[in-house]
Amino acid sequence: MCPRRALERGRDALAVALLAAALLHGAGAALIHAKAWLAPLLIERAWSRTLAHGGAAVKPWPWADTWPVAKLRAPGQGIERLVLAGDSGNALAFGPGHARASAPLGAAGLAVIGGHRDTHFAFLRHLRRGDRLQLQTLDGRWRDYRVEAARVVDVRRERLSPQPGREALLLVTCYPFDAVFAGGPLRYAVRAIPVAPRSTLL
Amino acid sequence: MTPQYRLYRSCRREAATFGGLPLWLAFRCLPALLVAGLMLLLLAASPSRAQAPNPLNELESGQLLLRAAGQPFVPAIIQASKVHFDISGMLATVRLQQTFHNDSAQYVEGVYAFPLPQDAAVRYMEMRIGERRIVGAVREKAEAKKLYQAAKQAGRKASLVEQQRPNLFTNRVANIAPGEAVTVELEYVQPVAYTAGVFSLRFPMTITPRYMPGVPLATDEEAPLALTPDPYLGWALPTDQVPDADAISPLLHPAPGGDHAPLNPIEISARLDMGMPLAAVDSPYHDIALARRAGVYDLRLAQGVSEMNRDFVLTWEPVTGSAPRAALFTEQVDGEHFGLLLVVPPSAPAATRPLPREIIFVVDTSGSMGGVSIEQARASLSRALAQLHPADRFNIIEFNSQQRSLFRSPVPASRHHVQAAQEFVRQLHASGGTEMLPALRAALAPALEADLQHDAVALRQVVFITDGAVGNEAALFEEIARLLGDTRLFTVGIGSAPNSWFMRKAAEFGRGAHTHIGDIDEVGQKMATLFEQLSRPAAVNLAVDWPQPVEAWPQRLPDLYHGQPLSVAVKFGAAIPAGEVRVSGDIGGQAWSRRLQISGAVGQGAHAGVASLWARRKIAGLLDQRVSGRAEEEVRAEVLPLALQHRLLSPYTSFIAVEEIVSRPEDEALHGKAVPNSRPHGQADQPFAWPRTATTARARAWFAALLLFLALLLRVLRQGEVDHVPAARA
Repeated sequence: MCPRRALERGRDALAVALLAAALLHGAGAALIHAKAWLAPLLIERAWSRTLAHGGAAVKPWPWADTWPVAKLRAPGQGIERLVLAGDSGNALAFGPGHARASAPLGAAGLAVIGGHRDTHFAFLRHLRRGDRLQLQTLDGRWRDYRVEAARVVDVRRERLSPQPGREALLLVTCYPFDAVFAGGPLRYAVRAIPVAPRSTLL
Repeated sequence: MTPQYRLYRSCRREAATFGGLPLWLAFRCLPALLVAGLMLLLLAASPSRAQAPNPLNELESGQLLLRAAGQPFVPAIIQASKVHFDISGMLATVRLQQTFHNDSAQYVEGVYAFPLPQDAAVRYMEMRIGERRIVGAVREKAEAKKLYQAAKQAGRKASLVEQQRPNLFTNRVANIAPGEAVTVELEYVQPVAYTAGVFSLRFPMTITPRYMPGVPLATDEEAPLALTPDPYLGWALPTDQVPDADAISPLLHPAPGGDHAPLNPIEISARLDMGMPLAAVDSPYHDIALARRAGVYDLRLAQGVSEMNRDFVLTWEPVTGSAPRAALFTEQVDGEHFGLLLVVPPSAPAATRPLPREIIFVVDTSGSMGGVSIEQARASLSRALAQLHPADRFNIIEFNSQQRSLFRSPVPASRHHVQAAQEFVRQLHASGGTEMLPALRAALAPALEADLQHDAVALRQVVFITDGAVGNEAALFEEIARLLGDTRLFTVGIGSAPNSWFMRKAAEFGRGAHTHIGDIDEVGQKMATLFEQLSRPAAVNLAVDWPQPVEAWPQRLPDLYHGQPLSVAVKFGAAIPAGEVRVSGDIGGQAWSRRLQISGAVGQGAHAGVASLWARRKIAGLLDQRVSGRAEEEVRAEVLPLALQHRLLSPYTSFIAVEEIVSRPEDEALHGKAVPNSRPHGQADQPFAWPRTATTARARAWFAALLLFLALLLRVLRQGEVDHVPAARA
């Protein structure tokens, strides 16, 4: 009787431990999505203040280490995202981030924006060649872009380096979209080029 | 018994079998929900996977954007250059050969944008195909273009050399057959620079990508580059402020090249005949092999070839005592005599009690300054701050896309302020665009305001540290000329391939001096020279009196700073006058003059190239009148005949060479290809990491499900035992 009871107790403890671990991970996953969903509400407020102050960096919450630098809109997909400064993990948790080493947004050169494939940039898979993208930069001006190409990139083989040249946006997210584990070597890169503002075409 | 009650009862019973509500929730309810959730996830994923694009097949075509690091980029046309400098006296005659080798299987038109010294008078061009030589002709720009287009369409080999900026040119070579090579040779005359007792010659080789301010004029696919039916294959689109942006933005090789395996190789050789003993001959950025025979130096690159990724600079110094003080060189062309006068004014003694002055440092922190350039800029600024006198007032303005000043208004150079400034300088990083206009305005405009507040300011100097990588130079010159007032603008060119024309002209319009820093080791010496110029009084109100009227350029003589010589190009007419030339001016408040005897003999100081140089100076002088508001058409009407007469390249004239033989069969198409330039040496090109763009959410959700499943399994196994135990008791 005694060894069996000990076995049962051990089994119970294991079950509880497993349950606790499962809850922990479940909560962790939920937290990631909750952060990704809730943060933009605060960031939206910071962005409107940024625009009101002529492009000054406004932190969405006092201890934040990033701030909005642009608003990205995909009208065809009904998507609106606030782009944050920096593409480190702590910025990407709250929204897509602009790689500081790349060209500034709205200026000549290749500007790189990274975003998580399962939250903010999940919509990239639906973008097609010719789709419109709109970007509102710090000066409040909206710029029109057109998706030119999309491609799967192997980060072990291809480098990302500053490209002086024509203005272009590169939206980057992880690939494949449905992979379970993070940290794979593939990226899905969507390149968009500016479309001239209507007014200057006249 | 209501159905609700029945449901409640069964739930209670169900919960009881699990040993209580919490356990039931955990082991029955949660797993069920999770399984349902997972099913949903799978269902959601599968249709979208079916319609996800197949990017590997569909979208990989023709992208210049991202290139595999393992496969080096091979352009369709490979360019190799060869340059020979023939230097004697104050002039250098330079022959530059550009060979274009078509490495593709198609007929191509090569488009190559290349830099030349800003004061080069390009006066000869020829095209060589194997043994055949076709001498180029100078034509009006539009006419030359028409001839070129016609030849290109007809399948004839042709070459068109155009001037885009005084230091930036384009060479187009049409109808190069597969595997064939075409050589274009140019000859130009260039004055030798002579500053602070050192002669120097600068030969630029590549172009730092320039920032094009303004709004693109037309980028829509429907109207592809409607403004230029003949695109230059540059990376930039024409903007409202830089309408020729596509002509001055050549592509760069994606990877930096090196001297061991150059992408754009160049052979450099020189013959240096100064007619005076030299103390030193040096090339600060290249290794050279030197041989001396009877006072003539022959030199070439020590390694034979070099990558065209930085300026080539040659400096030489006469031995003490033999430095020239004054000289006149002459040349006779078509019965007309031309002259080049060089006079070195004496150096003013350093003022014993320095005048109170205000120095504004303007530093460019745009993206093109990334890499070694920003380090040089930081070192220069830091050195400059250390040289400030406590009585000076100063400020620092940093600019890229936006500008930022360290202090609201200039402050005294106290230890505290200088320390704050040193810290500010340490924090400077390069990124963003080059919006130079507002920064220049900020540096030049508040002069009035400052003078009202501090009436003791006698001297206001702006030190402008930049690589000059902008496309709207003309607008900047206009702004400098308009706002200058009593301020003086000094430029410091930074980097391996600065826009020297901008540096030089900005300083000219700013009535200051310019200097170049190409290496961090030069910072100390060059900044010391600059501060000599900043602190010693300049030679002003200079005038040259000739024995008879002559046409002299520049018309308005510049102020000369410490170590700068006066250089005037003149046209004498039918004969060189005999008599006395008198050069006069004020140095530090004291009148100074110098007399020079010229004999009027034709052979005196005869020197080939003086006529071309005079014409080049005159063209530059006329073009500068546009800045002070003269109509473009008027200027053009004067420049065009001059350039045609002297067979010079100018903004309104081009060189064109066309072969008579048709080389491209009619059924072969012609493909336009850009010849990429080499990346400027040391310019930032650190590849940066791809963002990590996946969360652990999905993995964690799956893991949570797995753990729950295991826990459930355990529970189910135990359930079996619990059921078994009561049975045994019974």
